[in-house]
Amino acid sequence: MLGYIRHPVISLRDVGFEYAQGGFSIDVAELTVASGTRAAAIGPSGSGKTTLLNLISGIERPRSGEVRTAGVRVDRLSPAARRSFRITTIGFVFQDFLLLEYLDVLDNILYPYRLHPKLRLDASARSGARGLASDLGLAGLLKRRPSELSQGERQRVAIARALVTAPKLILADEPTGSLDPATKQQALDLLFEQCDARSTTLLMVTHDHGLLDQFAQIVDVEALGPAEA
Amino acid sequence: MKDSLYLAWRYLRHHRAKTLLLVLSLSVFLGLPLIMRAMSRATQESLLARAEATPLLLGKKGSSLDLVVETLYFQLKGAEPITEADIDAIHATGLALGIPIRTGLMARGFPLVGTSLDYFPFRRLRFAKGRGLAMMGDCILGAEAAETLGLGPGDALLTSPSTLFDLAGVYPLKLHVVGVLEPTYGPDDEAVLVDVKTAWVAEGMGHGHQDLARAGPDVVLKRNEGTVTANAKLVQFNEITESNLDSFHFHGDPSSYPVSAAIVVPHDEKAGILLRGRFVDAPTRQLVRPAQVVDSLNKQIFRFERVLQIVVWTVGLATAVMFVLVMALSWRLRAEELRTMTRLGCSRWKAAQIMGSEIALMVGASVLIAGVFGIVMAQYGDTWLQNLILRGS
Repeated sequence: MLGYIRHPVISLRDVGFEYAQGGFSIDVAELTVASGTRAAAIGPSGSGKTTLLNLISGIERPRSGEVRTAGVRVDRLSPAARRSFRITTIGFVFQDFLLLEYLDVLDNILYPYRLHPKLRLDASARSGARGLASDLGLAGLLKRRPSELSQGERQRVAIARALVTAPKLILADEPTGSLDPATKQQALDLLFEQCDARSTTLLMVTHDHGLLDQFAQIVDVEALGPAEA
Repeated sequence: MKDSLYLAWRYLRHHRAKTLLLVLSLSVFLGLPLIMRAMSRATQESLLARAEATPLLLGKKGSSLDLVVETLYFQLKGAEPITEADIDAIHATGLALGIPIRTGLMARGFPLVGTSLDYFPFRRLRFAKGRGLAMMGDCILGAEAAETLGLGPGDALLTSPSTLFDLAGVYPLKLHVVGVLEPTYGPDDEAVLVDVKTAWVAEGMGHGHQDLARAGPDVVLKRNEGTVTANAKLVQFNEITESNLDSFHFHGDPSSYPVSAAIVVPHDEKAGILLRGRFVDAPTRQLVRPAQVVDSLNKQIFRFERVLQIVVWTVGLATAVMFVLVMALSWRLRAEELRTMTRLGCSRWKAAQIMGSEIALMVGASVLIAGVFGIVMAQYGDTWLQNLILRGS
């Protein structure tokens, strides 16, 4: 078996962050997630799991330290550049799916393309979305509204939306939190399968410790430790 | 931009009821001042055009506005009449032509207008079908009356009974349609035009019946010297035909017979001034210039319009505030959607574009509706407004 170097997709060093209104802070001495890795972020409520995702994606900017995502120093980017970086490089899956009721399944999947001029919604994007929908078992549901779908189907639409721009990194914030156990595993299997097929790095926040053996890397947010002075 | 418009369109389409309500409210806000202005202008122009085409009107002393409206628009308000003698007097001056106008009766919902043959060339009325009036009992239909009633030359129509529950009263007269006018887009379109004598017969001032001299004894109640009194068996004609035409007659002095008013057409400007001078101090008659009267009516309409505009702008302001409030509340309810957009990486400009597109689509639709409605009202609203102002219906 040939060994090869996998570059980190996520790299945080000496990061310090606190919300402007105070009350919560997070410090990360060092965190590295290699490309193509399936990683889980765990920790009790309020430990900063979502904040960690926000720092990685550039939604939040650290007070100090270095955040490098997909090779880009996100902490140095302007707000506009961070938004542009986010939509082209990262896919998001949310716990509540956050699908838009006024759009059908296909339009929900293609939604990121309509949000930024850097992404072009052309025939190949549409064909890619249809292929993805087909891979996720949504081919017959493209004209349905989210309210006409089951929870599991909605989650699959959310996964398709996250993958449609072929991002380097998927950040999933408790994506199976509102699913029953059977559907939960199905959704996870699909997510893993799609990420593996595209060599997409996955960082998933979860409270469910029973799922951890399916991840290659576990990130305990509480144990990330304060930045050293 | 295309994507923003698409998202905005999908959102508005999904929330049809809210969108429709907002678009209609905005349409009213945008359209009402335009519609009002267009209608008011069209009405003023239309009123003035007919008034200016009528040099002078002779009528009983009283409201000049009523006289103008009743005569030009054939309104049936029962103004005090003048007499045929007044028209004869106008002719006798040698200064002008007098055209009688007798209104008061209806024929199947349309005003029956008694006039003279001079009326047709004076109004430049042209025939679409048939011919002009030739004998008593003939009538000519305006274009709209003919179309509505589905009548043409050779058909007949009855005057509406004016004394429905009076058995001894006047019976409807059967009129023969001999012509249909080309559309004029004015009151003549709705008129049933007859000779003034026919109008008098329809009103019961003239009548025809079987010849008493030849009638059998069963019809005669009593005979005195030169006078024959008939009983109820006497056959009264309710249709004027060539065979019974000679039996129609008028009792009393025809010069005392009523006409609602007279259109007076001076032979020249000087004649008009002279005639008006003669009526300045007339105790029971007035000779008015319709253009002057309508001009003063237009000034009143303009004043009323200005008051209405203040009301409309106030309502408009309330509508605009409501629109802003609904949009603000709507976006507040959609905070989660906005957050998702931001988290996914939507630019602020794009988010603003999507919001702006929703507003633009609604305002665009409202402008379109208001514009179309404005054009329709400018086209047809003057007739409707004339009906509203002149007929109160």
